[in-house]
Amino acid sequence: MALTGRLGLLALLGALVPLFVPSWWTLFAVWGALFLGVVLDVALAGNVRALRFHRAGDKNVRLGETATVSLIVENLGRRRLKARLRDVWPPSAGATPRMVKVNVPAGERRRVDMTLTPTRRGDRKAVTVVVRSVGPLGLAARQLSRPAPWTVRVLPAFPSRRHLPAKLARLRELTGAHVALIRGQGTEFDSLREYVDGDDVRSIDWRATARRNDVVVRTWRPERDRRIYLVLDTGRTSAGRVGDIPRLDCSMDAAMLLGALASRAGDRVDMLAYDRRVRARVEGASRTDLLPAMVHAFAPLEPELIECDAAGMVSTLMARVRQRCLVVLLTELNTAAMEEGLLPLLPQLTARHLVMIAAVSDPRVGEMAAGRGDLASVYDAAAAERARADRRRLTAELRGHGVEVVDAPPDEIAPALADAYLALKAAGRL
Amino acid sequence: MVTQTPPQSAQAGPGAEPPSARQVAGRRWRSARGVVAVLLAMVVIAVILAALRPATSAEALDPTSPKQDGSRALAEILRQNGTPVHVARDADDAVRQSAPGSVMLVTRTERLTREDLTRLASAQVDLVLVRPTSFALADLAPWVRKDGPTFEDADEPGCTMQAAALAGAVSLHESETYEVTASVTGAVTTCYKTEFGGPRVVQVRHGAKTVTVLGSASPLTNRRLTEEGNAALAMNLLGTNTTGADTPGSDAPGSATSVVWLVPDIPTEGTAAGQQSLGDLLPFGVKLFILQLLVAVLLVALWRGRRLGPVVAEALPVVVRSAETVEGRSRLYRAGHARDRASDALRSGARERLVPLLGLPRSSAQDPSAAQEIVTAVAHRTPYDETYVGAALYGPEPLDDAGLIALSDVLDDLERQVRQS
Repeated sequence: MALTGRLGLLALLGALVPLFVPSWWTLFAVWGALFLGVVLDVALAGNVRALRFHRAGDKNVRLGETATVSLIVENLGRRRLKARLRDVWPPSAGATPRMVKVNVPAGERRRVDMTLTPTRRGDRKAVTVVVRSVGPLGLAARQLSRPAPWTVRVLPAFPSRRHLPAKLARLRELTGAHVALIRGQGTEFDSLREYVDGDDVRSIDWRATARRNDVVVRTWRPERDRRIYLVLDTGRTSAGRVGDIPRLDCSMDAAMLLGALASRAGDRVDMLAYDRRVRARVEGASRTDLLPAMVHAFAPLEPELIECDAAGMVSTLMARVRQRCLVVLLTELNTAAMEEGLLPLLPQLTARHLVMIAAVSDPRVGEMAAGRGDLASVYDAAAAERARADRRRLTAELRGHGVEVVDAPPDEIAPALADAYLALKAAGRL
Repeated sequence: MVTQTPPQSAQAGPGAEPPSARQVAGRRWRSARGVVAVLLAMVVIAVILAALRPATSAEALDPTSPKQDGSRALAEILRQNGTPVHVARDADDAVRQSAPGSVMLVTRTERLTREDLTRLASAQVDLVLVRPTSFALADLAPWVRKDGPTFEDADEPGCTMQAAALAGAVSLHESETYEVTASVTGAVTTCYKTEFGGPRVVQVRHGAKTVTVLGSASPLTNRRLTEEGNAALAMNLLGTNTTGADTPGSDAPGSATSVVWLVPDIPTEGTAAGQQSLGDLLPFGVKLFILQLLVAVLLVALWRGRRLGPVVAEALPVVVRSAETVEGRSRLYRAGHARDRASDALRSGARERLVPLLGLPRSSAQDPSAAQEIVTAVAHRTPYDETYVGAALYGPEPLDDAGLIALSDVLDDLERQVRQS
């Protein structure tokens, strides 16, 4: 049950009555009238218990876009329902409108459309639906809160999608499928195709040309069906905010671009998110459903404030993949964490696999290093230089172990990682 | 709606520096100064008003008080001259102590309640009222009305009243003036008239009762008793004729057998009108109205208190700025004046950037044995000599903070020169 403002107003007006007829009975009469009104309203208000809720609409939405979720209110009662309805969502779901007025005749249904503009990645669950059905006099209402479960998964935005066409073009150049000036790289013979102006004359297959009336060139392609294992570190270092977004989100973005590219290049891509246990895993996905699978696996991931267990990560990896593959580890070049965690285990890993470490650097450190003028800026610059020197030393040490290191600021990490992959592919090192 | 902390903008620059304590204090002062000024003005006004108000102590006109505004001197003189002075602390006591032929001196009338005043009015004694309030005047001397204060010093009495005529000039200082309404019955004498206004002393003879209204308390106080004819006026009014033989039956009340000096105490609660509470005074309808108002407030509170659905709590991810550790290290350097470490870091950073420009292997940047080679190469490509370059790239730590800032500028300069050569 709930009261309305109109009741308060009536009570206020009722206060004037005893001024003219000063008696207790007057006051009792006013109270009686108000009470009667409330009882009447509660009795005649639309029955909120006879409501059924149904849901329909989007289940997924990319971060930054808008989803529509409908709530269907079905009135099984015998009276018309005039009510104020609130579909309750968590704040970061960005649900609007906050409150709607519904008018459902007996036995009918009405649809309420909610638009959700989430501000955060992850699963957003509808909390509950609250209905306040006001009686005919507008003095009192029946109120009920009842769950109407629905979950909208907010997927990562994948902003580095825009780099994909360029990288795919570069890939086509590598495979020679591109009709281009460059001969396909790689060592595997792929196919024969007609000569076009600009093709390398050295790639002309004279025997095939002799059989046909056309000049035919051989194309090569890089090795296919290599395995790539993306490993995301979701430990404490991934929680750091770089620019506007957490490091984990940058890593996800880079992983998605690389996954999309590698699956187009014909490689098998698997993914693992790990800190002290497996947080998410995508294995054996086919070429077409790899990206959706990754996006769904990434959506609920949040950085954990614990130190990453490198030994556990390496052993999990070694147990899962027997054959040689490219292990891409998306983490942070943090001296302490690396030296105690990953470095001692690297020989184990590099003995069987090709390891690539991708780290997002903080542009703020670069800004600090360029600071001059007053004492605080110079000390900032010194601290930044020190941090950079540590990073350089760590990078050199990792390279000494035969590890490929990609270190780039957040807006460049995804294309840089894709380039590093393409370079390995071109060199036939996969 | 979203409670995430807004991320620090990377382009914040120097504008985003936290304000210094001085700036914060200045801002607070600017926002608060209006309030402070108003408060200060109120205090000043209060002090001025308090200073302007004539101070009367709690014992003013008390016949036992030796203070400046007390009246012990007058009471003593009266007693020495053979007139007994009875001190009364409330109206009942005063009426009880008064006998036919005595004079009742009524002071501090603002402390008398309505009941006290009617009791005094019905008493058949001569009254001398000292600066009475309008209420007291209305009850005790209904023919006399207040006509505003005056600050003129009085001179000759200018009337036939014996008490005043014998006293001659008096010094009344600040005094009330009066006017006598036309409806008066009985003999009226007005004395000590001001230049424009009314008299300062009024005597009305009404039947067997004489009521004298004295516009100023000065003639009675210890402080002013000795001025001009003050003492004479007071004593004449209160009964002792200082000048020669007393003529019985004359219009002066000089024949008083005793003086009842009424200095009322502050009326205590619970007597007479004080017993009634606010509730007794309110009409019943208004009480019901207030009760119903409370009910209305309660109903409005219930209406506003019932929310449409719960408050939704949401776990938000942690927000740690990635460069926090670097900034922390910078503050540590600064707090510890670690010029050695800071200069080392700056120099090795500069060497790291210089070495590829000079065409030397990267590893030589941190290699002490390659120092001479680097210094020579840099000096070759800049207008500076080797000593200068060597001091910049490998020199001792700067002696003070200014030296550190200068070093950073020198390193920048070297790097730019090499880049441009």
